[in-house]
Amino acid sequence: MRWRKLGKIFDPTEHALPSRCVEFAQSPQALVLEDRVRVYFSTRERDCVGKFVSHVAFADFERDMRSLIGVSTEPVMVPGGLGCFDEHGIFPINVLRDGDRVLAYTTGWNRKISVSADASIGLAISHDDGLTFQRHGAGPLLSASLKEPFLVADAFVARHGGVYHMWYIFGTKWQKFTETEPPDRVYKIAHATSPDGVNWKRDGRQIIGDRLDADECQALPTVIALNGVYHMYFCYRHAYGFRQDSSRAYRLGYASSTDLENWVRDDSSAGIDVSADGWDARMQCYPHVFECDGKVYLLYNGNEFGRHGFGLAVLEA
Amino acid sequence: MFRWKKLGKVFDPQDLKTGSWMHEFAQSPSTLIGEDHVRVYFCSRPAPGPDGQYLSYISFIDLERDNLLNIRRVCEQPVLSLGKYGTFDEFGTYPVSVIRDRGEIRAYYAGWTRCESVPFNAAIGLATSRDGGETFRRLGDGPVLSYSPDEPFLLGSPRIRKFGERWHLWYVAGKEWLRTDGKPEPVYKIRSASSDDGVNWLKHGKDLIADKLGPHECQACPDVSYRNGQYHMFFSYRDIRNYKSREGGYRIGYASSPDMIDWKRNDDLVDIGLSETGWDSEMVNYPHVFEVDGATYMLYQGNGMGRAGFGLAVLDSSEEWGLA
Repeated sequence: MRWRKLGKIFDPTEHALPSRCVEFAQSPQALVLEDRVRVYFSTRERDCVGKFVSHVAFADFERDMRSLIGVSTEPVMVPGGLGCFDEHGIFPINVLRDGDRVLAYTTGWNRKISVSADASIGLAISHDDGLTFQRHGAGPLLSASLKEPFLVADAFVARHGGVYHMWYIFGTKWQKFTETEPPDRVYKIAHATSPDGVNWKRDGRQIIGDRLDADECQALPTVIALNGVYHMYFCYRHAYGFRQDSSRAYRLGYASSTDLENWVRDDSSAGIDVSADGWDARMQCYPHVFECDGKVYLLYNGNEFGRHGFGLAVLEA
Repeated sequence: MFRWKKLGKVFDPQDLKTGSWMHEFAQSPSTLIGEDHVRVYFCSRPAPGPDGQYLSYISFIDLERDNLLNIRRVCEQPVLSLGKYGTFDEFGTYPVSVIRDRGEIRAYYAGWTRCESVPFNAAIGLATSRDGGETFRRLGDGPVLSYSPDEPFLLGSPRIRKFGERWHLWYVAGKEWLRTDGKPEPVYKIRSASSDDGVNWLKHGKDLIADKLGPHECQACPDVSYRNGQYHMFFSYRDIRNYKSREGGYRIGYASSPDMIDWKRNDDLVDIGLSETGWDSEMVNYPHVFEVDGATYMLYQGNGMGRAGFGLAVLDSSEEWGLA
């Protein structure tokens, strides 16, 4: 795989965003519409206790991805209810065209006392080409289970051969790695299947091998089929020190499969890496691969987890 | 009418003469019948932490089978540790329901975690014992029954049964958090799930018991027995407000069903009231019905949601099972 970087294409500070959001455009994910490509992302407001809450917004691009048409002015989803899994924000959101409707697989966040937060995967449905989404129930579609005790998140759903496939992550532990810092979490990529996109059967295992060490954190898988091979991009980082130390921060990882069961990890084949300087020099994360008009694109975030926006690359070979 | 004759208080950790890890509370009794004793699992609490908050652990006592008011043994330490950092049962295990299955004993319990906007959340865990119920181990770090689109939070109050080869779990699921008197209070209703192995559950997705006190009625402790071709459920219910007092506290309700899905509520069939004075003069709730040596008993918790311990009643006659 060889990617040509097209640079940062969206900066949240240059636009008026709904829900009083001022920074962050995280985890860009595309819905290809007839006359445009709608790119959803999570942006943030400060709430009444001074903590961040993530909200879903979108930016519309021409189908050639060269120019921005507009930015959503209204919230795409109303906030989650008191005590619900997504009460303190949605990040990220994955969208899938499903006949007349658009399915959104959300990651909802709720704050806790001993650890900072937990997450579960929810479903919301749109009947207006993704302008607004209504929740499929107040509760989550996938949440903690016997072997996946917390942080069930980052769903990416695609249909292959009449089956809905979900790649997602689950937490394996919360651990204090240093004396002074609060505990950090470790999470891994997993897979589930469904006949209808609603009822899921989980494989219950980590599907992508660790490259750094057993505490490697793997996030945001995205899968595309090209010429009979399934290609997965994701991001990975060290479990602690990843905010300050660029060498421990998120990088893009890559794996391939011919059967959607067995994956071979080979980050050296990813065909993209951090830049020497600039917006994606210290970090690369939250990849999303999509196809439009014969071209394959990669949306992703750079430094500071997407605080300053997202960029684009196009597949050359 | 199910007429229950009270036999008195069975256990309150505050009555113990010797030191114990149990400081207060004996809640949600659940029994296993032994050869010469009846083991009662329940939940108890050490003294609260510096923040004033309690942790709840699973405990047991052994009662003499010939005289259920006689305690033979008090469990020396909790039978299950609390969950790891960040897991669903990090801050407590309550209530508990136990069942013997082949060579092991299973404990289904609600695990508690603490949250920022609402005080807590709960999900149902499973732990098993292979040493006769002295100690239990989790099947995994996560819950065995967790949240779903129409059961968004607070899965608790599990009661486990096995009829034939099929496992049945009755539990409660939160409906909404309401701000009453400035504080968030949850509304929850009785639901059920069934399973071939007791691990992978099919939720039935239905509130089973019609409300008596309106949509804000809270229901708990669905204790089900099978008698005379009918399923019988004793449970607890209360209003969302003022529930820590005699007026608003949990009461015992009753419903019956031919198929475990459609339930007919008829609280008038239960006759067990508050005592004039003493440990169960303000509350009688969290019923657990069991049969031993031809008699039917009910264990229940008293004042302060079991802060004052639990007691025993015996069913005066048995014709009710057929009449219900």
